Amino acid sequence: MNAIVLPNRRIEDWKYSDLRNAVDESAVAAAPTAAWTMASVEGAADIADLPAIMPRGEHGAMAELAIAAAKAGPYVRVAKGERAAVHLHLVEGGHGRALIVVEDGASLVLRETVRAADFANIAVEIVIGKGARLDHVRHAPQHDTVQLADYAVQVADGGQYCAQLMNFGSKLARTELHVVLEGEHAEAVIGGAAVLSGTRHSDVTIHVDHAVGNSKSRQSFRYVAGGHSRAIYQGKVTVRQRADGSDSMQTAKGILLGERAEIDLKPELEILADDVKCAHGAAVGDLDADSLFYLRSRGVPESEARSLLIRAFLEDAVTGIEDEKIRSEIWSAVEAALPAAMEPAP
Amino acid sequence: MAAVSETKKTVAELGEKYKYGFVTDIEMERAPKGLNEDVVRFISAKKGEPDWMLQWRLGAYRRWREMTEPTWARVHYPKIDYEDAYYYAAPKTTAKPKGLDEVDPKLLETYKKLGIPLHEQKLLAGVAVDAVFDSVSVATTFKAKLEEAGVIFCPISEAIREHGDLVRKYLGSVVPVTDNFFATLNSAVFSDGTFVYVPKGVRCPMELSTYFRINASETGQFERTLIIADEGSYVSYLEGCTAPKRDEHQLHAAVVELIALEGAEIKYSTVQNWYPGDEEGKGGIYNFVTKRGDCRGARSKISWTQVETGSAITWKYPSCILRGEGSVGEFYSIAITNHFQQADTGTKMIHLGKNTRSRIISKGISAGKAQNTYRGLVSVHPKAANARNYTQCDSLLIGRECGAHTVPYIEARNKTARVEHEATTSKIAEDQLFYCTSRGIPQEEAVALIVNGFCREVLQQLPMEFAVEAQKLVGISLEGSVA
Amino acid sequence: MLEIKNLHVAVGGKEILKGLTLAISAGEVHAIMGPNGSGKSTLSYVLAGREGYEITGGAITYRGENLAELSPEKRSAKGIFLAMQYPVEIPGVTTLTFLKTALNAQRRARNEPELDALAVLKLVRSKAASLNVPEEMLKRALNFGFSGGEKKKLEILQMALFEPALAILDETDSGLDIDALKLVADGVNRLRSPERAMLVITHYQRLLNFIVPDRVHVMAGGRIVAKGGKELALELEAKGYGHWTKDAA
Repeated sequence: MNAIVLPNRRIEDWKYSDLRNAVDESAVAAAPTAAWTMASVEGAADIADLPAIMPRGEHGAMAELAIAAAKAGPYVRVAKGERAAVHLHLVEGGHGRALIVVEDGASLVLRETVRAADFANIAVEIVIGKGARLDHVRHAPQHDTVQLADYAVQVADGGQYCAQLMNFGSKLARTELHVVLEGEHAEAVIGGAAVLSGTRHSDVTIHVDHAVGNSKSRQSFRYVAGGHSRAIYQGKVTVRQRADGSDSMQTAKGILLGERAEIDLKPELEILADDVKCAHGAAVGDLDADSLFYLRSRGVPESEARSLLIRAFLEDAVTGIEDEKIRSEIWSAVEAALPAAMEPAP
Repeated sequence: MAAVSETKKTVAELGEKYKYGFVTDIEMERAPKGLNEDVVRFISAKKGEPDWMLQWRLGAYRRWREMTEPTWARVHYPKIDYEDAYYYAAPKTTAKPKGLDEVDPKLLETYKKLGIPLHEQKLLAGVAVDAVFDSVSVATTFKAKLEEAGVIFCPISEAIREHGDLVRKYLGSVVPVTDNFFATLNSAVFSDGTFVYVPKGVRCPMELSTYFRINASETGQFERTLIIADEGSYVSYLEGCTAPKRDEHQLHAAVVELIALEGAEIKYSTVQNWYPGDEEGKGGIYNFVTKRGDCRGARSKISWTQVETGSAITWKYPSCILRGEGSVGEFYSIAITNHFQQADTGTKMIHLGKNTRSRIISKGISAGKAQNTYRGLVSVHPKAANARNYTQCDSLLIGRECGAHTVPYIEARNKTARVEHEATTSKIAEDQLFYCTSRGIPQEEAVALIVNGFCREVLQQLPMEFAVEAQKLVGISLEGSVA
Repeated sequence: MLEIKNLHVAVGGKEILKGLTLAISAGEVHAIMGPNGSGKSTLSYVLAGREGYEITGGAITYRGENLAELSPEKRSAKGIFLAMQYPVEIPGVTTLTFLKTALNAQRRARNEPELDALAVLKLVRSKAASLNVPEEMLKRALNFGFSGGEKKKLEILQMALFEPALAILDETDSGLDIDALKLVADGVNRLRSPERAMLVITHYQRLLNFIVPDRVHVMAGGRIVAKGGKELALELEAKGYGHWTKDAA
């Protein structure tokens, strides 16, 4: 751990998240092992310590560091055909490691929250079996530290990975997802939103790899950036050779509210098979002028109209959360974060 | 009978495939192999350049020595040995010809084979040709008419000698000497190229056209183009390329700089059809080009249109710096790769000024074992209030061995900006092909037809005569792509 | 002109046509009626040579030639024309460009001289006028954003232009209002000639009021289950398909 080189903006993948400027190498090297608690466990989930032999998916550069440094972590397993709901809560920062296994035909609702206000760098392995389903909701509240989370997700035949990534920003926050659709009819539906204010930063970097054909992926992100904040989406979709029948769609939309805010979007396609349906759309802009005018012409004051439209814009990003309780909690967090994001810059 | 006529047709098509595959054996005058300060001095001396130009080149050369070749593009090729190439070659005709009749008949013969009817072009409506054979410009027509309008259109070597102030003021002002590995190399060793100056308020009376040729074996080509459109002027410039067939790879690193002052407009169109290598991926041109336009003045406009069908490697991002208020940048592109070709091309639209607008339409077609990448940046700076961008990026795949990649970057830093990007990737629909073939159109022709339709928005941007040529090229480039 | 004998066709491994027999002579207009899923469109595609329609038994002979061996474009050059139920949109390719390309490709295949742009334009205009196809439509991308009626008109315009020996009209009436239907039918009727055979595929009898057939075949379960004169169509309308499909089962 003595010669750490932190990813920085000269490295293509970290272009918009210069870690070297956000944290000291020594602090990274000295960080302890992160700690989680199980805030709640419902249904048939086995909770244990990490096994000696861990599955290893594709990870980013910092996750490799977490894997090397973390000494322990939770292992959540839902056995064949079982159902469970687990709330994982990160209480102490540092290098973390976790394993989530949803066996064939099983389903898990995984809720993840973060309390740890210090440096966090976690690497999570997720294995989704045949016909299994994982609903993953990650809620990263406002912080002012460096928060890194990196997930390697493997989805087998007919398996489903549904992720909802809610970010409220940190000094530097980065969520990386590396999803490999390994079986036919495997599906990844990934969505989320970021509501940022002040000088907060949020980076969502995703790689969905259609390793075999007839697999499907959807990505949809909505960003609102106020103040001096910076919201980033880097989403890459790979369709490997012979992965015919792959179907992917990516959308990333942002609204800049702050005079000094920035939104960076990089939806990327890497297509090596011909019989595919792949598309992406990305847009940054103000609220739709026609809608704004329509509302105002019906007597809604501008500020109220704007707030209404921003809520509508963000609401799209949370409708994907199936669990009603989680959805309403997340929405409350959005509502709570909005006023600061909409505040005019000082 | 049918068989005979079919055979004839096949033979004819083979000829069509690469009709520009030949070599003329004009005796070349070369700088020694390899690159060092002496070679830079040799080139400069050869051109009779003033000292400031030599110093500029030397500065670039020294800088280049410290630079490394970029690797971020999605192109793979064997390492280039820059010491194993010639950096200067010129036809032996040292005295400048005053007219076509003074031009080496062998050169004229070459052009004839290329299908550049130089003589006839005098008669053709308004196309002046500054033909570059390897590195030295040999023939310029329509000079008188352009002079009347005050337009300067000449080899850049001549401009350095005769319009030194203009060149000195603008050269390197859009693509700095230190810009990138290939541009810096070009700055050190550029052999020749084109210079255009359109004075205030002048609408250039004709489309300016230059045909580039790479001819000498083992000779890198380092063209340098500088176009300045002064306030309120307009110019349309056409660049077309063909190259002889040969086995070893050839390096090409051109730099094009455009400057549009207040209210000026520059339209720059390219059809690039250099030798792409054979069906096994042997040979072909390496094309590393830096093209950039600076919309320096308010309400200025720069429009790039490119049809890239040739070269083994294409590395090219014609860009616009939208500095002037209300300035407009456009990029229309067709990139076709077949067999083992690799293209990594796109654009950068840098919005610096208020109310700037840009539009990107990119059509990538990949066949055979080719890799085709669109890479583009739309950047809105904090002061670019009301900036607008629209990007449409479509890829078409023909066959199971090829790849199509889209790498757009959007960086927005002004809340009143609006940036929209859309991209699709698909293959030629089976029902479209069947519809065409069931109406009697053979499959290969149907593919060409559908692909031309796919590219229509871009083809429409080309001047008439170019559009016709480009449409044919689309068909020719895709030959053999459908089993 | 066309002889289909005990034809079996499979699509994606599933047998759709199960022993279909049919013969059409020059100068005749035959109608094929049948319910959805009876294999009508499969028959039209197999005649035009679409990929993925595998002949697993029987034979199709066209003017003494085995049709199965010919590519779609060769069939077209030899005078087979299929007016499709769902004409395909081809963005960016103008209708006129397409017509010229197709016409000349067919002529080239027959060793006839190609027509220049002006001659094609004249020819297309003359055919377009009688079908009320506006000039503006010819400049638009092929079928792109066309209404259902416009698409069908364009199919008939192509038929008039290519003058095929055997025309197959697949559900040409679907999506047409009565005025458009009459116009299209008039266009078809004008093309009736002693040298030309037509196969009109339809779900409803309505079209056959305007294009009166010489023979009517009822298709069900991938086979012809009944045949007769034009009065069969009326009978079918009155009794419904159930009557015949039960027989087939």
